[in-house]
Amino acid sequence: MIPTIWLASYPKSGNTWFRILVANLWSKRDTPVDINVIDSTDSIASGRNPFDQQTLIDSALLTSDEIDRLRPAAYAYAAAGKTLADPEDPCFPVRFVKAHDAYTLTDRGEPIMAGARGAAGAILFVRDPRDVASSFAHHMHCPIDIAIDRMGDRDFCFASAADRLDRQFRQRLLGWSGFAESWLGQHDIPVHLVRYEDMLADTAATALAALRFAGVEPDPARLDRAIAFASIDELQRQEAESGFREAPRKAPSFFRRGIAGGWRTDLTHDQIARIEHDHGTMMDRLGYIRSTVETE
Amino acid sequence: MFSYRVSGLAVASEVGLPGLIPGDPDSVPEVTIRRAPVPIALDGAEAVGPTWQRADNRFLLRIPHIARFLLEGGHTIAFEAEDGAEPQDVAVFLSGSVFGVLLHQRNHIVLHASAVLVGGKAVLFCGQSGAGKSTLAAALGEQGHPLIADDQCAIEIGEDGVPRIQADGRQLRLWEKSIRELGLADRRGDPMRNRLRKFYVDPATASDVPVPIGAIYALVEIRGPEEPGIQQPNVVDATKMLAANAYRPVLVHRLGQRDVYFRGGTAIAATSGIFRLKRRLGFDEVPATIAMLHAHWVDIGLMDSVP
Repeated sequence: MIPTIWLASYPKSGNTWFRILVANLWSKRDTPVDINVIDSTDSIASGRNPFDQQTLIDSALLTSDEIDRLRPAAYAYAAAGKTLADPEDPCFPVRFVKAHDAYTLTDRGEPIMAGARGAAGAILFVRDPRDVASSFAHHMHCPIDIAIDRMGDRDFCFASAADRLDRQFRQRLLGWSGFAESWLGQHDIPVHLVRYEDMLADTAATALAALRFAGVEPDPARLDRAIAFASIDELQRQEAESGFREAPRKAPSFFRRGIAGGWRTDLTHDQIARIEHDHGTMMDRLGYIRSTVETE
Repeated sequence: MFSYRVSGLAVASEVGLPGLIPGDPDSVPEVTIRRAPVPIALDGAEAVGPTWQRADNRFLLRIPHIARFLLEGGHTIAFEAEDGAEPQDVAVFLSGSVFGVLLHQRNHIVLHASAVLVGGKAVLFCGQSGAGKSTLAAALGEQGHPLIADDQCAIEIGEDGVPRIQADGRQLRLWEKSIRELGLADRRGDPMRNRLRKFYVDPATASDVPVPIGAIYALVEIRGPEEPGIQQPNVVDATKMLAANAYRPVLVHRLGQRDVYFRGGTAIAATSGIFRLKRRLGFDEVPATIAMLHAHWVDIGLMDSVP
């Protein structure tokens, strides 16, 4: 049986980049993997269709709370290798599964991500919240101030509308700070922290550490090739040519810039101050240096 | 007992099942639904899923805090409500998820699809939940195409080799947003569950007899620069597409039904046609999708001319 590792992140923090890098690492082809066919990692944990397929239940007729009560069983089932086409030949050494869910409990007190039954560990991707803000606004097709509101709102969820069917389940994000806090604060599974900025500054070393956490020792030459095949230029080229099916429908593009520190020109002073006010404590903890002084 | 006709089967049920076509109370039921004690687990289970177990011809499905369902031999369904769940909560799963499993258990070809009548034949739209099957069927209904089925389509290959679909189209099941966008508020019925904003909606017209299949479309959402269009895959890919669009592909695998779907797919590909319908998702895009379908129906002889 192969281990399951969650790739947990607040949106726009390098999760998809890492997945594409891994897909290229495990690809046998000598050209970059098609970003629309990343079959080396599972689809997102909150996906509705895999759940319906495994549970045989039409989740469209369940409320979000009822679905949450069933999610641990579905995750444990998948982590036990029961959803692999051939458990004897899993094709890949690790089952990486992306998640934008914060680490929360169901209304019956069970971890939605199923604790140690759901995964052997989690890689938590974080990014400077000031850079997340403009990227998140672009992603949601909304003003930056709205994105900052949502990042500071513990109740903001993805896919929580009750008047339609979303292909994903409701995901509680708990705000930018709450997201990181929930994963770092749980004691069910080990967590490896990856900062987006470190991925940019030294992709090879950062990816290597994350892969080793997952129990994978990659060949250095293949890792270098995977990094090149997952470069922002390549991702943008593919997206311009054929789109990216994981991009939100309204967003003009998914792979926008792939840089760190853009907030210095993207955000107004008030916006920076607001983010640092909302998230200062977690920024300090993650090593993001504040630029403003609280004057309360 | 209540009598219904579900996917061509005579069903007798101890409980009322909203949204189904009423049946003939004098006919001998092929499927019986009863309230009875249902175990938590099956003895000698050969396959165990996160919510289900199978032992021989017995299949147990548990929806925690709603009900447990025991299906035997494809002809009886026993259910036991959990935690005082309301009859309405149990009924929607009986007529949907549970009956879908029963059709698989009976070795039927059952697709996750909606269907409307076009030129005397059935046109099916397959896709996962949220792919837009019901919305497309409802929109086509407003243009005079009677509803045949919503969500599940049971296919039979007749002795004449003609694939036919059984009618299940008494009511559409639509989310509040779809009802609003499609302007169907005046035909909105009860909510499927009181705690959900998904409703039964009366179709403009419905067909209640088995009809030959005219075409099957797998709904594919496109994003980015890709252009909408209709493609016809080769027979091998078409039969794979059919199995992938089974109501529960996992059961096709678990119940050893690949051959059934392969033979069915070959017959359908030969007599009607299996296509990929690539289009953008969204209510604004529905008219363009319908225009594309109209042109295709003229091409494949389902319609004389574009309306």
